[in-house]
Amino acid sequence: MNTFLLLSVIDSPAARSETLKASLKILWQGLLAIFIVIGLIILAVQLTKFCVNKAEAAKKAREEQKANAAANDPSAPQNGGEAR
Amino acid sequence: MEFLIETIRQVTWQQAAMWAIGGLLIFLAIKKDIEPALLLPMGFGAILVNIPNSAVIAEDGIIASLFKVGIQASEAMPLLLFIGIGAMIDFGPLLSNPKLFILGGAAQFGIFVTLILAALIGFPLNDAASIAIIGAADGPTSILVALKLASKYVGPIMVVAYSYMALVPIVQPAVVKMCTTQKERRIKMKYRASQVTKLTRILFPVLVTIISGLIAPASLSLVGMLMFGNLIRECGALGALSDTAQNTLSNLITLLLGITIAFQMQAAQFITLETLMIMGLGLFAFVFDTIGGVMCAKIMNLFSKEKINPMIGAAGISAFPMAARVVEKMGIKEDSTNHLLMHAVGANVSGQIASAIVGGLIINLVLPLL
Repeated sequence: MNTFLLLSVIDSPAARSETLKASLKILWQGLLAIFIVIGLIILAVQLTKFCVNKAEAAKKAREEQKANAAANDPSAPQNGGEAR
Repeated sequence: MEFLIETIRQVTWQQAAMWAIGGLLIFLAIKKDIEPALLLPMGFGAILVNIPNSAVIAEDGIIASLFKVGIQASEAMPLLLFIGIGAMIDFGPLLSNPKLFILGGAAQFGIFVTLILAALIGFPLNDAASIAIIGAADGPTSILVALKLASKYVGPIMVVAYSYMALVPIVQPAVVKMCTTQKERRIKMKYRASQVTKLTRILFPVLVTIISGLIAPASLSLVGMLMFGNLIRECGALGALSDTAQNTLSNLITLLLGITIAFQMQAAQFITLETLMIMGLGLFAFVFDTIGGVMCAKIMNLFSKEKINPMIGAAGISAFPMAARVVEKMGIKEDSTNHLLMHAVGANVSGQIASAIVGGLIINLVLPLL
């Protein structure tokens, strides 16, 4: 009875072979595609991290430079200068 | 008095069996604390829809209507759930170590192997692919793929997918032990919590959406909603919305999803030999997902100076956060000083994205062949 039930719900041998061929195609295409997507995402993340870190470092350097310039400028008001 | 026993006379043994299955799901949810938010509504729904002449599944019945509107017509429920999931996920550990992404991809291997096995058994391509996607270890993805491919096994696929997700702590340790040595399981990994800037966290969901959309457009509904939820979380400007997505929205959808899915648990569709086969194939998919992740970590070790504990690969399946917890527990069991949680979480969230992308890829690849 089980065999009968099984045969009633599944494809014929010819259709099964077609499905198998299609599933093998999906196997290699799917695996290739997922690793390509993942590779691209890894690249994009690394690139983003690199650019963001560079931009932040440059911003920090600019701010430090500004602070140094202000400290070395004799015309700039000193701390508490205005209060006196 | 005939009218009083009219319905009782119509009860079939299959419907009675579904009551027992419903009872079992409720028991597992309450007593064993296995995915209670899903199994309890599904269990109660299984009883509700299997009472003869049940009004809830009539043409305009509440469950039939919810199913038609919320799942069949628009796949709205699983997709909205993805917004909540996206808002819950912190991609920080993955962004700190992006190569963990590879493990998330490798742990989808079981999906493709199961597709071949299901085809060999003789399932038509749409059903074989829908069954295989159980290996995504991700309920919403399984529902969406099964619906898009018009599989007639949506109900069993749902039940099996959520049941195995709940059984990850039982299934995975055995498989991991089978394919690793004790020495490998004791590999220690340093976690360097490199600072991930807010801008990187904001750009990440946008980049993932564009990349996966360009290669697998069918994955956009899943990946897009997941990433939308994550963007709400990370932007910092939508605290209230992020909180709503993580709690209220997720809870509401989960509550409705469980009982709505029960529409597919009507005895005539559920009590079949195919359901048993789907259970076997689902287990096969989970096992090969785990093997795929572990083996990929071993291969990566051949080329990398800093060794990866192969158990991390097992966390690459999407079942979040159970798979990561399992790896952490196994690591501590082998060596009480070996904490792998952050690495495992990185692989685990990558699996979440990878499974959604694979779901889209399967739809993209299978639909033209039908």
